[in-house]
Amino acid sequence: MILDTVVYGNVTLFNLLMVTVILIIAVVIAKGVAINLKRSLKDKVSREHLEIIVKAVNYSIIGVAVLLVLPTLGVHPSGLLVAGGIAGLVIGFASQSIVSNLISGLFLMIERPIKIGNAVNIAGTAGVVEDIRIISTTLRTFDGLYVRIPNEQVFTTSITNYVAYVARRVEYVVGIRYSDDADKAIGIIKKLSEVHPLTLKNPAPDVFVNNLGDSSVNIIVRIWVPTTEWYGVMMELLWKIKKALEKEGIQIPFPQREVWFNNELKSREIKNSNSSDPGSSNSTG
Amino acid sequence: MFGYYDVPLGIAKEGISLSVKRKGEVLLYRRECVDEKVEKILLASTEKILINPIEPLNKPKELTSYLLIEFEKTLVVEPGATQKIYVTYPVEIGVFMSGDKDFEILDIFTLIKQKFTLYGDPRSGVICKYWRSEVYSSKPSINLLHEGILELSITNTNTEWVEVTKAVFNAYGMKIYYSDDMVSMKATMKIVKGKSAETDFVDSPLEKGMKKSFELYTVRTLSVTATKFVMEVGI
Repeated sequence: MILDTVVYGNVTLFNLLMVTVILIIAVVIAKGVAINLKRSLKDKVSREHLEIIVKAVNYSIIGVAVLLVLPTLGVHPSGLLVAGGIAGLVIGFASQSIVSNLISGLFLMIERPIKIGNAVNIAGTAGVVEDIRIISTTLRTFDGLYVRIPNEQVFTTSITNYVAYVARRVEYVVGIRYSDDADKAIGIIKKLSEVHPLTLKNPAPDVFVNNLGDSSVNIIVRIWVPTTEWYGVMMELLWKIKKALEKEGIQIPFPQREVWFNNELKSREIKNSNSSDPGSSNSTG
Repeated sequence: MFGYYDVPLGIAKEGISLSVKRKGEVLLYRRECVDEKVEKILLASTEKILINPIEPLNKPKELTSYLLIEFEKTLVVEPGATQKIYVTYPVEIGVFMSGDKDFEILDIFTLIKQKFTLYGDPRSGVICKYWRSEVYSSKPSINLLHEGILELSITNTNTEWVEVTKAVFNAYGMKIYYSDDMVSMKATMKIVKGKSAETDFVDSPLEKGMKKSFELYTVRTLSVTATKFVMEVGI
């Protein structure tokens, strides 16, 4: 038969035909997997990164198929593997951290604990996420610095995402004098929150006496605001509270300590002795 | 107050002072209201100015597209019934100038106080513009520069009585109409499965002869995909 015709070595025309068919099937499978991957990850991974993932998967499938058909063509990859074993080991060790960052990057893109534009704190570095790349994540800190964090560190450390939810709470502790009316102060603070357009009606603000401190009656103020407005409201409201309280005669006291003496003060003794002396008109106090 | 005006124009009403004057080759736009002063120079050959009520979600900041109206009194709706009520909603006023093909937004202002609220919990809820309204059985007489009238048709598809305390609307679906003495909208609220409801707007005026407002999202060419809102965490 014509298919049994030897082309070279032990490779026949049938072997070549089989190799061609296997490679075509591999290409079709790779294409199908790529399309499905694109569909399923479309909403989870950015377009740029999705292209990289899809290409990597595509070429990996074709690569495996090529390795499978090589023996049919008379080439034995086991020999190649032995020859490349040492080199592979060296490259493997050298690229350990890169692979680790790459895999972490893939998981970050799928899990998406952070998104581009989010205000976050990663491993103690706070800022806005500028980019999430396959190997690293970049932040722009609030004081304008560029910070690159390897994805392995991002993935394994704790992440605080300040804007993950739509509402966030502003919290203050306001101390007033013991002689001031705490109910009146609470009323003033609640009113301020009520008239502020960017504080939320629901959840309702919590304002209450939280602690009877050494120098002041401490009122805790908890007000919910839209997350996007948190910083602005937080900065604005505290000073407004201070001014409104002072306007109503309620003051924020300095730290103070009342000292009681067991014995009468020496100065008082001197004063008393002076006042009992009829010849003395100037008191030393 | 609402309608088309030729340039130059000057309006002074209820604390609103608005003018468009020619100054050489350019136009000078001035507006004062509620401690807010706006001045703009218009480098355009605008001949017409349109002032009409717009969706109330732009002031003091455009934070959300949802409007939550809380009712002063709880409504109790019998099973299978459809009831029509009237509530009020806040009015925001948009000033548009005529462009090459369409009208372009120039200024937005309001005479009423603004407030926001959260519908749902902080994790999965939505920020809404907040408004508290009396519930009326017939069209109330109100100041059209402050409040609009919303005719709300509530349908209870349940087999049990349902209490309704609020309604949330997707403001991008609003169809606002105005006349010389009224600003209005029509909406529906379909109560399904106990404590959830679906709200939507109806594109028709409350009275004959009312003019349709120039909707802001059309001007901004935003892609509006949904006009309904599903209230899943309480009504």
